[in-house]
Amino acid sequence: MFLAAFSPKDDREASPDAALVRLLLQNDVGAFEKLYDKYSRIVYSLVLRIVQQSGPAEEVVQDVFLQLWRNSAQYDATRGPFVPWLLTLARNRALDTLRLKSERQRRLENQTDELFSVVVAPQYEKELDEKRRAERVRSLVGELNPQQKRAIELAYFQGLSHSEIAAELKEPLGTVKSWIRNGLIRLKEGLHTAS
Amino acid sequence: MSNCDQFREMYEAYALGALDPPERAVLEAHLATGCAECAKSVAEARWLVSQLAYLAPEAATSDMLKGRLMQTVRSEAEAKSSSSVSTGATTTASGIPYWLSASIAALLLLTLYFAWDAHRLKDELRAANEQNQRNEQLVASAKGEFAATQQKLAAMEEQMAKMHRETAILTDPSSVKIMLAAQKIQAPQMVAMWHAKYGIVLTGQKVPMPSGNRVLQLWLIPKARGGKPMPSMTVRPDANGNFEVLVSNPPAAGSDTKALAITEEPAGGSAAPTTTPKWVGAMT
Repeated sequence: MFLAAFSPKDDREASPDAALVRLLLQNDVGAFEKLYDKYSRIVYSLVLRIVQQSGPAEEVVQDVFLQLWRNSAQYDATRGPFVPWLLTLARNRALDTLRLKSERQRRLENQTDELFSVVVAPQYEKELDEKRRAERVRSLVGELNPQQKRAIELAYFQGLSHSEIAAELKEPLGTVKSWIRNGLIRLKEGLHTAS
Repeated sequence: MSNCDQFREMYEAYALGALDPPERAVLEAHLATGCAECAKSVAEARWLVSQLAYLAPEAATSDMLKGRLMQTVRSEAEAKSSSSVSTGATTTASGIPYWLSASIAALLLLTLYFAWDAHRLKDELRAANEQNQRNEQLVASAKGEFAATQQKLAAMEEQMAKMHRETAILTDPSSVKIMLAAQKIQAPQMVAMWHAKYGIVLTGQKVPMPSGNRVLQLWLIPKARGGKPMPSMTVRPDANGNFEVLVSNPPAAGSDTKALAITEEPAGGSAAPTTTPKWVGAMT
């Protein structure tokens, strides 16, 4: 497959997370518990931010980790790092719970295909603990103007499209597109510089 | 500009799921061609977007959730383990050579894989069909909008042509001005301008409103002895009693007309006057 040309096969295959996921294939409950203890907080925080209610949020988190346990073979370490894969899975499950409009529903159903798509961390990306990573991302996004931050949050946490965000914020479509793109580019540059 | 330049601004929004369907379809069609450069950029954008999860305020899961989850996981692990032991004993007792059971297992796996792959392909086909239907709907909608825009344009062109004609009639020195005086009623005069080529513009101001849904009708009174009045346009003034009508093709030439007259007629107008004229103006 052409994507294999840039799929990292070196250190990520040998990363501690990838090793734990491989142990799940052997029904290693201890490996599962380690992964849960390490990432349940960020997964729950993300899901709760999207669905806004603790009961449904816990159900989504349970589904996500059970999918990891039952279908760990779906995670292919050669196609990208584990945490972004897990967070993408959690986000899509949470948005599935949140979604109300049929059109949006179809779009998100298509997005679930992306679960098994390639995620490539940039060269500068280093392994950071979750706390430092969160501080870094929050600080960089906090520097964006409030409307720009709001547009990105509407897209990420509510699954809205450019047009839907433009309608929500009563701003021109082109402005919303620029806000989101420029905001993410600034985040990317900031993460690069900070590394 | 390389072929990929047009897609550079879409990578982040695509990874975010924020692209509207038409843009998304365009980018996906391009990715489907196997463009490694764009695929790599999208993969990196996915990583960047995943970092947004850290914007969520920190919240801790309950101990009960972990307890429930671990209970489920442990019982499933035990079930798999006992199932595996049981399978091993049967195999031993059956006496099937190891290489044969391995081959059977491989065949089973292959069968499962092909079944899964067929299912996946079917899903992809269904998704592609749905996307195609959505695209067709978009095209149909765009065609509808195009037709509506064409109609609006045609109406605007018609309005423009009418305005040009009226302007020509009102400003051309060769136009003949006819003052129509009110007959036996208290009302201002009406003014008609008649151009031999472009027609007649008739205007009225503060005209009394015809009763009910009746209308005012213009008549051309022929010079010929015994000639009957020739019917023309009908009009109802606006709320302020004002109106302006254009008669592009008068039923008679100015040189054959003796006077213009206005009567009050039923809605839709009449073939012959049913009331006496309320305004009359002689050709000069």
